[in-house]
Amino acid sequence: MQEQIRTVLERLKQAGVDYADIRVSEIVEEGISTENGKVQNLSTNRTKGYGVRVVALGSLGFAASQEFEHMEQTALEALRIAKASQVAQRQPVRLSPKEAVVDHYATKVGIDPFTVPKSEKLDLLFRAEAAMREAAPTLFKTVGNMDFRREEKLFMDTDGSVITQTLYESGGGIEAIAVSPKEMQKRTYPNSFRGNFATAGYEFVLAMGLVENAPRVAREAAMLIAAEECPSGLFDLIIDGSQLTLQIHESIGHPIELDRVFGYEAGYAGTSFLNPAMVGFQYGSKHVNVVADATVPGGLGTFGYDDEGVKAQSTPIITQGIFQGFVSSRDTAAVLGQESSGTARADGWRRIPIVRMTNINLLPGDFELNELIAGVEDGLLLSANKSWSIDDKRLNFQFACEMASEIKGGKLTGKIYRNPIYTGITPEFWNSCDGVANEKYWQMFGTPNCGKGEPGQVAHVGHGSAPARFRKVKVGVADVK
Amino acid sequence: MLSKRSLYDIIDLVLAEAKPFDARVLVNAGTQGLTRYANSEIHQSVYEDATEVTITITTANKRSETKTTAYDEASLREVVRDLVQNLTFLPEGEEQPALVEGPPLIETELWSAGLEEQYTVEKRAQLIKDCLDTLDSNHLAYGALTYSVGHLAFGNSRGIKRFARTNRVNFSALVAASAGGSGFAKITGSHPGKLDVFAAFARARQKALLNKDPIDLEPGAYTVILEPLAVSDLISYMSLIAFTGKSVQNQASFLTGKLGERVFDPRLNLTDDYTDENTMRLPFDFEGAARTVVDIICAGVPTGLTHDGQSAKKAGVPTTGHSVNMPNYGGLPINLVMTPGEKSLAQIISESDRALLVTRFHYMNPVNPRQGLLTALTRDGFFKIEKGHIVAAVKNMRFTESMLVALNNVVEIASDREATPSFFANHYVPALKLKDFHFTGKTQA
Repeated sequence: MQEQIRTVLERLKQAGVDYADIRVSEIVEEGISTENGKVQNLSTNRTKGYGVRVVALGSLGFAASQEFEHMEQTALEALRIAKASQVAQRQPVRLSPKEAVVDHYATKVGIDPFTVPKSEKLDLLFRAEAAMREAAPTLFKTVGNMDFRREEKLFMDTDGSVITQTLYESGGGIEAIAVSPKEMQKRTYPNSFRGNFATAGYEFVLAMGLVENAPRVAREAAMLIAAEECPSGLFDLIIDGSQLTLQIHESIGHPIELDRVFGYEAGYAGTSFLNPAMVGFQYGSKHVNVVADATVPGGLGTFGYDDEGVKAQSTPIITQGIFQGFVSSRDTAAVLGQESSGTARADGWRRIPIVRMTNINLLPGDFELNELIAGVEDGLLLSANKSWSIDDKRLNFQFACEMASEIKGGKLTGKIYRNPIYTGITPEFWNSCDGVANEKYWQMFGTPNCGKGEPGQVAHVGHGSAPARFRKVKVGVADVK
Repeated sequence: MLSKRSLYDIIDLVLAEAKPFDARVLVNAGTQGLTRYANSEIHQSVYEDATEVTITITTANKRSETKTTAYDEASLREVVRDLVQNLTFLPEGEEQPALVEGPPLIETELWSAGLEEQYTVEKRAQLIKDCLDTLDSNHLAYGALTYSVGHLAFGNSRGIKRFARTNRVNFSALVAASAGGSGFAKITGSHPGKLDVFAAFARARQKALLNKDPIDLEPGAYTVILEPLAVSDLISYMSLIAFTGKSVQNQASFLTGKLGERVFDPRLNLTDDYTDENTMRLPFDFEGAARTVVDIICAGVPTGLTHDGQSAKKAGVPTTGHSVNMPNYGGLPINLVMTPGEKSLAQIISESDRALLVTRFHYMNPVNPRQGLLTALTRDGFFKIEKGHIVAAVKNMRFTESMLVALNNVVEIASDREATPSFFANHYVPALKLKDFHFTGKTQA
């Protein structure tokens, strides 16, 4: 394979390209879903192919195919595309410098998930479902999910890089669903939208405690059906990691993508309220410290090298509330005269690498959780995302959560509300943060469904956080008449 | 790209290997060339050629499925062996729907030589360049021009065969002023004569010219005129959360318990109609069932739901032929056509004393599916109308509204309709004028 790629890269050089890379990807995915004690889905996806990216006369072209015997033809198609684009090229594409690397990276895996019998995985989900139904027999539905992924990657370029990677992902979760004549309520564990995911092996799923947590999840779903609707107004909020993950994702992770800043996504996913002159901007309070860390063990956005052959990095994004910089690719970093932050990834062989989040983590603070709660006179503790939306510049956001727990006089009262919604403006929200819980409460969540780009790509990214407190946040929409 | 014969050969090989089990095979072969532009230059132009084989093997109560891009004989035999192996340990599950038995053959040609000729990579680049040349120095443009070709084939152990050859163009244009205001247009279609890229680009440019010095409005209830792109977004999300048999069976649909009752404005009629020439026109679904026309809403009454085989079996009805091979969603309506009203959009605007005109929405999501509660923000052209004229651009706002309420507050349905992209195909919808539409938040742009 490597010899074939070298030959094609050489052919492209002879044809006059300034730069070319070829990325081979082979992905195996396994999905398992159970519902009410029965198998809902057992599927395996396999895909293998390659993408060829060229820069010629300052224009970019990309072509992808699964027909390996036609690699040269595909490469020449990429060159044809680059040449065609020159008719509408204002500024030549420049790539920031990088080193030529020969290396291998592999996810550290305790138990290879593909060696674990599917029957064993199903048994675990069935036991978790049974525990939910036993704890709350009135549930309308119980659900269990597991997903596993292995990707073998080979990256080679005209600079001489040869990088191989073996990346594993594992994860899963459970859901308890209760209904009434007018309502449907869901509680999930460890997070909504199929669970939690990590670059790890099956040991990650075993450590979740799906069976152990099932009774609580089931009881909470049943309680939500009978709970009052969450009130509207200004409240102090403590947002736990299962929701804060998506808050970070939407209101920090996306605005710091340099391709959005430069308008590359303007016609589709949108832009950003940030611009390069805003480095030094007061993004949040002094409690807000955020890094983009593709090296943290287990993060769903952890890897060895990005899809441009740039080594994984950890870079500061917000330090004590002050905005430090962006995540970038080679072409976007070059515009600022910088080196890439190593965050250009494609969701498979078919697609071109674009700027993606890695693990955008809110670093732990120094509060105990009960200290955060003690500082709230009248507020809510919000858990697990149910719905999300944010404007095209990433300013006005609105999230719905699965459950709100009432806090009065510095204590959780035990009362819960259903259908909590909160909304805000990104910098105002992060500047209202007056405390983040310490590392004891810090946890990573994987987000395996981040959509961006045309044709559409779905990235797998991670977010670490601990519960954090925010002052006077707008909750609910019922007061808007 | 693989020919019809090659796709049928793949299907026959898999079906022979899967015997004596029931199997169905879907082969989706396609190419796509997408030329993307930003800051008035082409920045990403890409091409892909991919063939994916989906194999589903079932017994009365078991189902095992795989997707693979490796379609050589050895790989396919190995995949089928794995699938059969799964059946040995899978516990008895839900009763599986019977394989589709008829008609034996459906083949359709939805491919246009004219489209193929007009949208090569070089011609796409030149078209974009010609559009960009119409802009003044105060404006930049962003968007994508896509040409895709598909060969879709299906077969199952009952001997039925399906094949469709399609090609299609999608074009989007966002024109933005250096001062910040933007306009947007998007078109989709497969008839070369009906695709006017220049006209769409000009619409986006015209909107951008109007979208300047936006005023600030406070959250509250407003009369809105939703252009077809905005209506299409609402309809797409409603179809996902409410119009499928599966969503009602899950008690997640806001139509749960409301079928047959009048819950929307009596002027509202919505049909999933693949025979309408403005839709994608694929006459079969991903389970090989003949697609049927389903009246979703008749005179404000929800009357029909779309099904795949599984949800149909559970409901005790025949499948409607709407499988997209996503059993979690059930059968999805992907060709929704809304009956037009009598006044043109221009006339509705000119007769409006006070209203807000919405070009499109951004980042829509269901807040509470059971209540039909959706949220999204306006984007790329949000205008205040007074006495029949656009008098100001408005800073973008967020709506949070139940569709059960919104579609009971219909003031007008426009007579002119547009083919608008949806999740899987496209809809054909008019503009709607709605009263008391709740904007619950505002943003700064």
